[in-house]
Amino acid sequence: MSLLFKSRQNKNEKQKKSFISNGYFFIVNIFRQGIHSLGEMWRTPLASMMTIAVLGLSLTLPATLYLVVKNVQQVSSGFEEASEISLFVKQTMTEQETATLVKRLALYPEVESVTFISKQQALKEFQEVSGFGQALEYLDSNPLPDVVLVTPTKRHRQPNAAKVLLTKLEAEREVDFGKLDIAWLERLNALLGLLKESVITITLLLLTSVTLIIGNTIRLSIMDKKEEIQVMKLVGATNTFIHAPFLWTGIWYGVIGGLFAFISVALMMWWLSSAVNSVAGVYQTNFLLIGLTLSEFGFLVLLATSLGFVGSYLSVNRYIKEIEPDKV
Amino acid sequence: MINFQQVSKTYPGGHRALEKVNFHIKPGELAFLTGHSGAGKSTLLKLISLMERPSAGNVFINGIDLNKVNSRQIPYARRDIGIIFQNHRLLERYTVFDNVALPLIIEGTHRNQIAKRVHGALDKVGLIDKVKCHPSMLSGGEQQRVGIARAIVNSPPILLADEPTGNLDPELSMEILKLFEDFNKHGTTVLIATHDLGLVARMKYRSLTLKDGRMLEDPLAQGAL
Repeated sequence: MSLLFKSRQNKNEKQKKSFISNGYFFIVNIFRQGIHSLGEMWRTPLASMMTIAVLGLSLTLPATLYLVVKNVQQVSSGFEEASEISLFVKQTMTEQETATLVKRLALYPEVESVTFISKQQALKEFQEVSGFGQALEYLDSNPLPDVVLVTPTKRHRQPNAAKVLLTKLEAEREVDFGKLDIAWLERLNALLGLLKESVITITLLLLTSVTLIIGNTIRLSIMDKKEEIQVMKLVGATNTFIHAPFLWTGIWYGVIGGLFAFISVALMMWWLSSAVNSVAGVYQTNFLLIGLTLSEFGFLVLLATSLGFVGSYLSVNRYIKEIEPDKV
Repeated sequence: MINFQQVSKTYPGGHRALEKVNFHIKPGELAFLTGHSGAGKSTLLKLISLMERPSAGNVFINGIDLNKVNSRQIPYARRDIGIIFQNHRLLERYTVFDNVALPLIIEGTHRNQIAKRVHGALDKVGLIDKVKCHPSMLSGGEQQRVGIARAIVNSPPILLADEPTGNLDPELSMEILKLFEDFNKHGTTVLIATHDLGLVARMKYRSLTLKDGRMLEDPLAQGAL
C-alpha cells in the first residue's frame, strides 16, 4: 500500500487480487512466519531448549498436583460408597413389629439393601469376638437391641444425602436411634478440599511465573534484535508485521513446553505405578494410578500455548512500540 | 515533490536544529544537501522520512502534509521513500538477498516477484554474484551498494541518502554517485546529504546548503512558496 503516491499504488496493484486470494495469502503468510520463527528457535537450540525445559517443569508441577487430587478423589469415592446406616430397634418392639419394619425399609426408594441382625445373633457374635464370652453368661437378659443395617442406593451414599436419609429412617416408630459413621469421611473431604485449594493457588502462581518467563525471554529477544527492528521500521514495516515472529515464538514455547510437561507427567506416572501397585498389593486392593486423559492433555497444551501467547504479547506490546529508528 | 515551508525543529532540551527552512525539490530532480557537521542535514532527512516531526512549519511530499500523517500511516508513507545510510545498516544475520528483499517482504510481494526484483536491483548495483553472501563478507563499497539495492528494490519515487560516500575512497564514491545519477535518469527524485564539497562540485547538480539550521542559498525556494 502506498500512502504518498496514489498513482504508484495503482501501478503496482494493476493485477487486482480477489478477496479470497488476499485472504489466502494472508493466512499463508501467517503460517510462513510461524514456521520461520520455529526455524529461528532451531538456530539457537541450547537457549531455546533451556527456556522450554523451565516452562515444561513449571507446568509439570501443577499437572502432577492435579493428578494427586484426582487419584485421592478416586480412593475416597471408594470409601464413600461403603457408607452404611445402622438402625437400633427399640427393646420394646416384638419380633413381628421388627419384621414389618425390615420389610418397610426395603421398600424405600433410597435404600438398596437391608440386613437384619437379631439381638441373639448380635450377642453370639459379641461373645465370640469380644473375649467376654463367660462373663456375658451371668447377665439376666440380653442387653443388645435388634439392628437393621441399611445400605443406601448409590445416589444417597454421599455424606449429605446419607444424613438426610438417616433422619428420615430415625423417624420410624420402631427405631430407637440410628448411626452413620461419616465423621472420618467429612474429615477426608475437608482435607481434600484444602488440597484442591492449595493446588489451585500453586497452579495460579506457577502459571503466572510461566507467563513472566515467556515475557522476559521475548523481551530479551526483542532487545537482541533492536537494530533489526529499527531497520524494518525504516523500510516500512508495520508494528503487526514486526510483532508476528515474536508472538509465534511465544506460542511455540507454550506448545513445546506443554508437550514437555505432558511427557514428564507420563514418565512420572509410569515410574510410580509399580510402587503404587506394591502398596495396593499389601492392602489387598486393586488400585490403579490415573494419568491425564486425552482431553486433559489437550487442555494442558492449549493452556501452555495461551500462556505463551499472552506472555509474548505483553512484551511485544510494551517494548516494540518503544523502538524507533533514531538515526539516519 | 519535496516542499519545506517555514520548517523549524527544536529538540527537547532546547537545541534548535532547523530554523524556518524553505525549499522545494521538483519531481525527478537530483539535489545535494551540504553543510558542516551539526548543520541540520540529518534532521532535515529525518523530517522527510518521518523519524521526526517539525516543531513548526510544514513538510509536503507530493502535496501531502506530513503533519497530517498519523503514526499508523507512517510505515506506509516510508514505503515511498528509499533511504541509504552512511553505515549501511544491513542485517548481519541475513544474506545479501534477504537484506535486499526486506522491503518487498514487508509490502507482501509474491515470492516469484521478490526473486525477480531482488536480482534486478542487485544487477543494477553490480552485485548479482553476491546474493548468498552475508554483509560481513563484503567490502565497504559493496555493502554500500547492497544498501542502495535495498533502497531502490521497490522502486520508491524518492531516494534519500545520508553521507553515502562517507567511508569510501574517491573512486568508489564516484561509482556510487553514478548509480544515483542513473536512478535519477529513470525518474527517481534524489536528495543526497554530504559534506564532501569537492564531490558536489564535480557532479554539477543543485546544492542546498545548511548552516546552523538555516538554509543559505536556494533560489528555487521562493518559487516553491
